[in-house]
Amino acid sequence: MVIGYVFTGALIIASLIIQGHGSFDVLKVAGAKPDLLFIAVVFFSYNFGSFYGEVTGFIAGLLHDAVSNAPLGLLTFPKVVLGYIVGMFGRSVLRENLATVFLLVLAASIVKGIISLFLCYIFDGASVASRAGVIIPESIYNAVLAPFLFMLYNKIFEREIERAGN
Amino acid sequence: MDFIIRHKTIVAFIGFSLFCLISLTLKTSTPITTVEGIGSLFALPFQKGYDGLQGGIHRFWAGFTELGELRDELQRTRQKLMKYETIADELAEMKRENARLRGMLSMMDRIQYESIPAMVISRDPDNWFRTIVLNRGSSDGVKVNMPVVAYHGDEKAIIGKIIEVRGSVSRVQPIVAPEMKLGVMLQASRFPGLLRGYSSNTNLCLMDYVSKSVLVKFGDVVVTSGQGGIFPPGLVVGKVLKADIMEASAYQRAIVTPALDYNRIEDVFIIKKEPDREFLDLIKSAEE
Repeated sequence: MVIGYVFTGALIIASLIIQGHGSFDVLKVAGAKPDLLFIAVVFFSYNFGSFYGEVTGFIAGLLHDAVSNAPLGLLTFPKVVLGYIVGMFGRSVLRENLATVFLLVLAASIVKGIISLFLCYIFDGASVASRAGVIIPESIYNAVLAPFLFMLYNKIFEREIERAGN
Repeated sequence: MDFIIRHKTIVAFIGFSLFCLISLTLKTSTPITTVEGIGSLFALPFQKGYDGLQGGIHRFWAGFTELGELRDELQRTRQKLMKYETIADELAEMKRENARLRGMLSMMDRIQYESIPAMVISRDPDNWFRTIVLNRGSSDGVKVNMPVVAYHGDEKAIIGKIIEVRGSVSRVQPIVAPEMKLGVMLQASRFPGLLRGYSSNTNLCLMDYVSKSVLVKFGDVVVTSGQGGIFPPGLVVGKVLKADIMEASAYQRAIVTPALDYNRIEDVFIIKKEPDREFLDLIKSAEE
């Protein structure tokens, strides 16, 4: 399981670096780029349950807050909430296929966007109208990309998923 | 203890959520310095490592992709240098003449600012915040609110301003960020306006509060007005894409395309100009 934790940490750091690199901006569609970190959190939560999902979401969120110009907690809280919720609809409830992953990530991304927008409005004094337009393109982008990333992550975490009994 | 272990999922969820909400609440209330200080203490080593790693990857990747571009750039730079060498004498003469004329008109010399060359090492890894990180920090003399520019052809064009400084890195809020407010004017007609980012998912700006008495048309150049005390006047901001006259408003507004593409900025200059004292006093009094 230690190897699983190491892989989890490596995947989070790699997602954060890829996402933050300037070259990644060429993938922008309608002004939005996919949130690889969030897709990874949903993957962990879906496969290993709420506890693993929320802990991963918390750590990934703190790192995300640290490298973004965001108040500590603003990007963490949505990941913790979604890590917890997605874990309840995990592999044991929803069988994995293209449609399930697409819909799960789409719904999770929209909820994440709404929570983030709500927190921005309350705590960051930010212009909500200007940020609302990001939610839908980002959610669709995440959902389209998620099945392929899930396939890749399934290969990487094959043993851990088997061990978890899924 | 058994209770916590048995219900670890919900306990962790409540704990993490409380941590986030308390952190966010304290950030927006009085004991900001203490909480930010503690937060920075933990975040700083990671940020430094992350920025170093990003910079390394950027340079490694650039080694593959930019060799051809560099060759072309070198060729262009050599040609430019030859051109500049020929006009250097002419320029020196013009400077002397300008100084003489200014003296005659009893004008103050235009303040020349030093600048610090810097490189973009990362952009925010999400769609929510429009900031970029530079490889220069307080150890290089960078301070909050210093303007950041880059070259657009032979002209300096504005990128944004420094909003956060650490030891060896600093963070820039670009003019395309919706939170940015910038005093600008139309270069030809000299009519002023207030510029801000248009939205989070476009690279456009919105120039607001432009008098309806001026005809704003496609291609009009927008420059900084110098009002607000942060940016020096006369720096190129961009060009008007479209004017928008609203019947209900006393003003018109214009959508502006920045002179520099935010996504493609790599090398910038930080102007060593601190905000005017009156401006800082105004901010302080507003905060109090």
